Amino acid sequence: MSRTITIEPVTRIEGHARITLQLGDGGEVEDARFHLTQFRGFEKFCEGRPYREMPALTARTCGICPVSHLLASNKACDHLLSVTIPPTGEHLRRIMNLAQITQSHALSFFHLSSPDLLLGWDSDPISRNIFGVMRQDPALARDGIRLRQIGQSIIETLGGKKIHPTWVVPGGVNEPLTLEKRDAMLKLLPEGLEIAKRTYDFFKTLVPKFKDEATHFGRLPTMFLSLVTPQGNLEHYDGLLRIKDAKGRIVEDMVPPEDYERVIGEAVEDFSYMKFPYYKPQGYPKGIYRVGPLARLNNAQACGTPYADVALAEFHMLQESGPIASSFHYHYARLVEIIYALEMMERLLKDPTILDSRVRARARSNRAEGIGVSEAPRGTLIHHYRIDDDGLITWVNLIIATGHNNLAMNQSIRQVADAYVDGNNLQEGMLNRVEAVIRCFDPCLSCASHAFGQMPLRIELKDASGRVVDSLERG
Amino acid sequence: MKTLIIGYGSPIRGDDALGPLAADRLENRSLPTGVEVISRHILTAELVADIADKDRVIFLDAAADSAPGTVRCRRLEPDARAVSTMAHFLDPRELLAWCETLYGRVPETCLVTAAGDSFDYDNYRLTPIAEAALDRMLDWVDRLMTQEGWTALSADGHP
Repeated sequence: MSRTITIEPVTRIEGHARITLQLGDGGEVEDARFHLTQFRGFEKFCEGRPYREMPALTARTCGICPVSHLLASNKACDHLLSVTIPPTGEHLRRIMNLAQITQSHALSFFHLSSPDLLLGWDSDPISRNIFGVMRQDPALARDGIRLRQIGQSIIETLGGKKIHPTWVVPGGVNEPLTLEKRDAMLKLLPEGLEIAKRTYDFFKTLVPKFKDEATHFGRLPTMFLSLVTPQGNLEHYDGLLRIKDAKGRIVEDMVPPEDYERVIGEAVEDFSYMKFPYYKPQGYPKGIYRVGPLARLNNAQACGTPYADVALAEFHMLQESGPIASSFHYHYARLVEIIYALEMMERLLKDPTILDSRVRARARSNRAEGIGVSEAPRGTLIHHYRIDDDGLITWVNLIIATGHNNLAMNQSIRQVADAYVDGNNLQEGMLNRVEAVIRCFDPCLSCASHAFGQMPLRIELKDASGRVVDSLERG
Repeated sequence: MKTLIIGYGSPIRGDDALGPLAADRLENRSLPTGVEVISRHILTAELVADIADKDRVIFLDAAADSAPGTVRCRRLEPDARAVSTMAHFLDPRELLAWCETLYGRVPETCLVTAAGDSFDYDNYRLTPIAEAALDRMLDWVDRLMTQEGWTALSADGHP
């Protein structure tokens, strides 16, 4: 008799979601699905608004990564203006993006995932939370908070202290950097880098303990998509799209972001409000790919900064050959990217041109369609707008980083469930592992609400008629 | 004496902007030495490091649990059980519990709230009843700039 396990809500992720596991007669997993249960509709209600409002409007899409939307939206507006923004303006935007990546990755690693990594998947769920981490390793918890503080502080220093700053504007940024602000940011970076290196070194000692998880947590033969520099190196703000296959062969390279529709298609399923992007030439769902830190490091030949390049080399050694396949190593990749972000911010801030007063190009709209692509902490973020002759938005398409990973998250759940879930004998640790594979991707499902910690949770086994035959409850 | 005032709330949800708007007004005032004011959409983890070295902290927030316009000021103590069900914002009592656990100290803390009348989508515009309550929130902050103000503070939300 088939049964369904429902995990709702999924905890310690950004947004509301549900997981269902369909079990066969023998208790084995027959199907697994990740459902995004909230509907936002941003693309639709932006229609009719002036395009210059788009950065402010779309930044409200997310309370976790407003900076990412701010940047991608302004890049789409740059495209509408048909301007090349001054190099200093671009570098200042780039610094803000790197600060965002630093603070976001810090939240994911220290706050959301460390309870599993430090305390264990099967530890008491009552204490498997941030307070448990604080008790076990307060220095690590303080490091996480400090790293977040450094990232946020740089964002605030650049953007001003107000909520939702309007410093990034179409054409560049609206105010050059002062010497005082530059020095204040530079002062923070050495401590941040020390924390990042210390955490990375610590995590490396943990990795061998997670061989089992590295094998079963979304170890998938997918492609990887990300921006790279024209030299094929790590890129977060600009650059060109690269897609590698599971064997490491480059299947698409140096694709201008404006051509994203040639390589990315979007499918929909009736069980989720999240779209299912795929690599168009291979069709749906065969064209599965992953984005985010794991994809970026798999696609990059080098980072271009000293410590991050050493860490990247060590990252590639996690597997004998080919791109790193296990989604468990998103955690590792995040720590490498934090190191890179801190090193690169220091380099950019020490460049004397960063104080140049020419930071913005001014123009009216000069084309009817604009596309902006950048790398958000969770992966490639695409904003695509069309406007009428009055500059009013007529059509919007947003492909959010988490969406790219939708197919991979669903397959990862299935893999973890196959390995760990015994439908005849449910244990809380099984449930936690199914949730934890989703946390590897650090999905950001919306800004409005973020499930976290010990939320009331109930898993039910239902027979084909909907009768509850077993359940597990916590909270 | 180092004091941190944190106004928090959403600027696009009508009266939920009471906290950040109160903070904005305080920033435009002449404040005693050692008083710092910040605005936040939500309370996030890194604020623990900001409050850890302060002697006093004043949170300013909107409330929805009493009659619109009601202004309260009450002391806060650390409470690890006040864990938010949301990942990226914290209850102020949870923030204090983090502070106590990680830094071994907790600043003297109070929460000044004003109950809003409407939390619909609206950009930085308060209802008249909230606007009037905002002035009374600032009166409370003025009182808390003195030792007498803190001494007179009860735990139950009434002066």
